[in-house]
Amino acid sequence: MNKEKVAFSFFMILALTLNFGFFYGQIDDAIHHNVYELFAVVVVNLIATVLKFGDKSQMGAMLLATSLVADVQLLSASLVWAYAAHMQAGGFIPGNMSTIVALSGGAMVANIISVILLMIETSTFQH
Amino acid sequence: MNKVTSITLRRMRTPFLVLIIVYSIAILGMVLIPGVDDKGQLWHMSFFHAFYFVSYTATTIGFGEIPYPLTDMQRLWALITIYTTVIAWFYALGKIITLFQDKTFQQVVSESRFRREVNNIYQPFYLVCGLGETGKAVVCALTEEHYRAVVVDQNADNINELSIMEMKEYVPALTGNAALPRVLEYAGIKHKNCQAVIAVTISDETNLQIAITSKLLHPGVPVICRSEIKAFENNMLSFNTDYIVNPFEVFANVFAMALHSPALYMIYDWLTGATHTTLNSPVQFEKKTWILLGYGRLGKALHQQLKNAAITTVVIDPSVKAQEVFYASNHHHQDDQFILATGTDAASLKQAGIETASGLIVGSDNDANNLSAIMTARQLNPQIFFVARQNSLNSTELYTAINQNNIEPANRPDSGHDDNLPDTLNHLIMRPREIIGRKIRALLISPLLLDFLNQAKKESTEWANITISRLTAVVGKSTPHNWTITINRDNAPALARALSLGRHITLGQIIQNPKNRRQKIGCIPLLLQRDKKNILLPDENFVLKPGDQLLFCGSRKVKITLTATLAIRTNLDYVMTFKNDPESFIGRKLSNLFNKQDRRKQNRINR
Repeated sequence: MNKEKVAFSFFMILALTLNFGFFYGQIDDAIHHNVYELFAVVVVNLIATVLKFGDKSQMGAMLLATSLVADVQLLSASLVWAYAAHMQAGGFIPGNMSTIVALSGGAMVANIISVILLMIETSTFQH
Repeated sequence: MNKVTSITLRRMRTPFLVLIIVYSIAILGMVLIPGVDDKGQLWHMSFFHAFYFVSYTATTIGFGEIPYPLTDMQRLWALITIYTTVIAWFYALGKIITLFQDKTFQQVVSESRFRREVNNIYQPFYLVCGLGETGKAVVCALTEEHYRAVVVDQNADNINELSIMEMKEYVPALTGNAALPRVLEYAGIKHKNCQAVIAVTISDETNLQIAITSKLLHPGVPVICRSEIKAFENNMLSFNTDYIVNPFEVFANVFAMALHSPALYMIYDWLTGATHTTLNSPVQFEKKTWILLGYGRLGKALHQQLKNAAITTVVIDPSVKAQEVFYASNHHHQDDQFILATGTDAASLKQAGIETASGLIVGSDNDANNLSAIMTARQLNPQIFFVARQNSLNSTELYTAINQNNIEPANRPDSGHDDNLPDTLNHLIMRPREIIGRKIRALLISPLLLDFLNQAKKESTEWANITISRLTAVVGKSTPHNWTITINRDNAPALARALSLGRHITLGQIIQNPKNRRQKIGCIPLLLQRDKKNILLPDENFVLKPGDQLLFCGSRKVKITLTATLAIRTNLDYVMTFKNDPESFIGRKLSNLFNKQDRRKQNRINR
């Protein structure tokens, strides 16, 4: 058993599950979407990205690309949240939540691709 | 992915992870710990504010307690945040700095920069492997002529030295083993602009490997190899290495030239020379007994040349093995002797007959021994002429000094008449590495020069003396410079066009000075090559033909004037007619029109 592989897979799958947890629920209902969960998704995704650094193989490049996509989506979601909560004139409105959840949904697709790639790599792994 | 980014990212993995984790814990803590707002109500920091707070705290900027003063509970967490995040930042920065100072990382960075530089060369370039004295001489000569060069050397000191030297062109350099195909590939062996590979590393084996690699990776490119050992030389020849330069043979050949015709040697030295040589009056060698110190590879080559010139030789060498070799190869040559000694002491030199000998050759590979032998010999025979081999560039001053003070001050009969003494006579000091450098330079830059020298060898001493006086008269003390012009569209477009139109142009016309009708520009056509035939010193009435190759000698300024004459139509017309013709299209048409009208008028008057 390779400890690095365990950590690697752990963070990638955790990123996907947390992402799903945040995404699941009515799209514009703030009660269904927890800010702590979004924070956790961002942190876990960043960790997963850093873990993918420096892998020169084609698979490594693909994994890094999907992670970067997820990061971009999640960071924009966080930015939207910060803007809506602190800078927007009328305060937080349900429309903001739909935008945030939609962005996190995109990140989830990227995370799903990541996990599929990981499964493909594992299944082609011999010995 | 780029190797440099890849290494950077991999090395930065742990610092980044540490930063992310420390930041997220600090932010989460700030959000969870309750605070009090300005109205005394319970208040939680939002993620946005927490991130802002942790960011300015972690980078030690410290804007204070924003937006409301912190409670003691929050302050406790802020303390933990400060120590952990600041330490995490120091750790990350330390890692980045260590990475930049890392030897392997620097090697990778310089390697990738070198590859980029080589890829971006759009001019023809030469690949020089080995930056010893020979390599340096070749690179200097190439850049002096504004050719590009790429250098590979295993020794980082040599590469660093290159950056201090002043070059006319930028020379990309890599520290690496040129015997590796990968390194040669980086250096552009497969590049379409690579003109030639010059393998002049110290090791024959490396040179051989470079030659093989070059011939396999880029079969068309010429390879010039330095080789000291016959076996390697034969091996190199076996796969069509284009030129093999053996320093000892080249040295011995040049020595033979000096022995046979000192005037020709002077011409050779001057034409192929480094930039600072001046033409000296030739020295005539006496062909009596010569003493040869050192019977190594160089000694053997020199002995062969002395035998060819029918000069009796006394060989001195401390090695028994050398003695065996000497007797094995010279049993039929009765006059020559072998003395088993170092040659640096008076006894052995006396035994060799230093008092009556006409010359001394010190050819060992140890400069201290060479100098000591000369000084001892000088005390025994102040008039002795010597040929010395200088091994290290660092002992130039010592050899110059020993060359200048021929007679010890105590032995001088009258110190007031220094100038009249024969001690102004120049001894020969030869530097094998420099001689090879010059040979390679001639091969690359002016191959016609070698043809000229080969042809000149067949001429008499009087011819050489006359040539010296002509060269001195025309080029004078200025730095000699020789260059080849092929009469074709690329090299001399105006001349090629004029000749193809059937005009009759002589050599004297093209070297006409455009500023003065009565003068020629200061250059001498040394050789004209037509259909593989060499014409030595063609005279001014020689009629040129397209395809001729001409070797000129003159100053650099003259080269520019001549190049302009041959390339620009109006310049060529001007030196031939001394009339200014209009250059523009309309101007030409108008002048043609006026010329026609003039001719008509003339015709009318004539009628």
